[in-house]
Amino acid sequence: MTGAATHPANGLDDVVHQRVRLGILTVTHEARRVEFGFLRTTLDLTGGNLGQHLSVLENAGLVDIEKGYEGKRARTWVSLTPAGEKALRDEVAHLKRLIHQIEEATPRRSR
Amino acid sequence: MTDTSASRSGSPHEVLASTRDLARTVRNAQRGTWFPLLLFGVVTLLAGVVDRLGYGHNALTCRSFVVAGGAGRICTVYNTWSAFYWPVALTLAYVAIAGFYLRRARSRGVGTRIQPYVVAGILLAVVLTVASLWAAHHPPGSETDFLGLHLSPQSWLRTFPNRLESPASAIGLALLVLSRVERSVSLLVVTVGYLLIVLVPIDFGWVIAHPSPWAFLPHLVITGAVLLLAGSCFALTQRPTS
Repeated sequence: MTGAATHPANGLDDVVHQRVRLGILTVTHEARRVEFGFLRTTLDLTGGNLGQHLSVLENAGLVDIEKGYEGKRARTWVSLTPAGEKALRDEVAHLKRLIHQIEEATPRRSR
Repeated sequence: MTDTSASRSGSPHEVLASTRDLARTVRNAQRGTWFPLLLFGVVTLLAGVVDRLGYGHNALTCRSFVVAGGAGRICTVYNTWSAFYWPVALTLAYVAIAGFYLRRARSRGVGTRIQPYVVAGILLAVVLTVASLWAAHHPPGSETDFLGLHLSPQSWLRTFPNRLESPASAIGLALLVLSRVERSVSLLVVTVGYLLIVLVPIDFGWVIAHPSPWAFLPHLVITGAVLLLAGSCFALTQRPTS
């Protein structure tokens, strides 16, 4: 096996690694269940943009989207699926390994 | 649709740091520490009113003992109004806290992790109430030897379990769970301070001796004031910024 094949960057999933989608997964994981409006405000996105990213995550089976009403107000709630929890855990682990590799390599280069 | 990869928008360090920032934002939105603290502060001070009104409505349990030098009797007295008040008040308080957090979660749009705190709080209230009632009906006997120590019924080691099974420590122990649930170091520090005041106990030199009908007052006022003060500080710092 080559060094490139085992490089942690190869383990990063493009669906999860995208900046906004990683943000959605992080917020949803921390909140357990999060409302569309809170995600939009926290991630500073337009409704359309957030909706498109949520569709990508839903199609990948990483989030569940639940639509309903509270009184007359339409509400959309997002929660992570077990696959979404695992994908986020793996992404964070890969990022930590990448940081570790960078930190290992930096002093060697400077010598 | 923007599809910028995280790797293109920052180093792994920056990406991880931004996820931590997002997690912190969510936690801040979820926290409502001030509510249980203020509520238990009020519940504690109201207990003073119940204790005073229930003065004279006491249950008395005595136990005789014989020692080398002679015989004696040890009695425990507890206020029956207070014994009824605390389990009811604590249970109702936890129901109110659960309602508060659920309502807040709906209005803010973020889920809540309050369930372990509410469950732990109610369990502690029930277990410690049963333990204190049992202890009230089984007064400590004469002096005992424990691990080579000669302990009188008034010794710290013998009275500590009584303080541990008090409603104040039930509140404090459950607050430890809340500090874990909310991942709040400041609440953990406040709770440890509160438990020290309850369990040592620290009375700041304010003691009203029995059989005064106000003997309960210093303990309740001090612990209630600590909760109210801490709750007010958290209320100021946890105000929504928008």
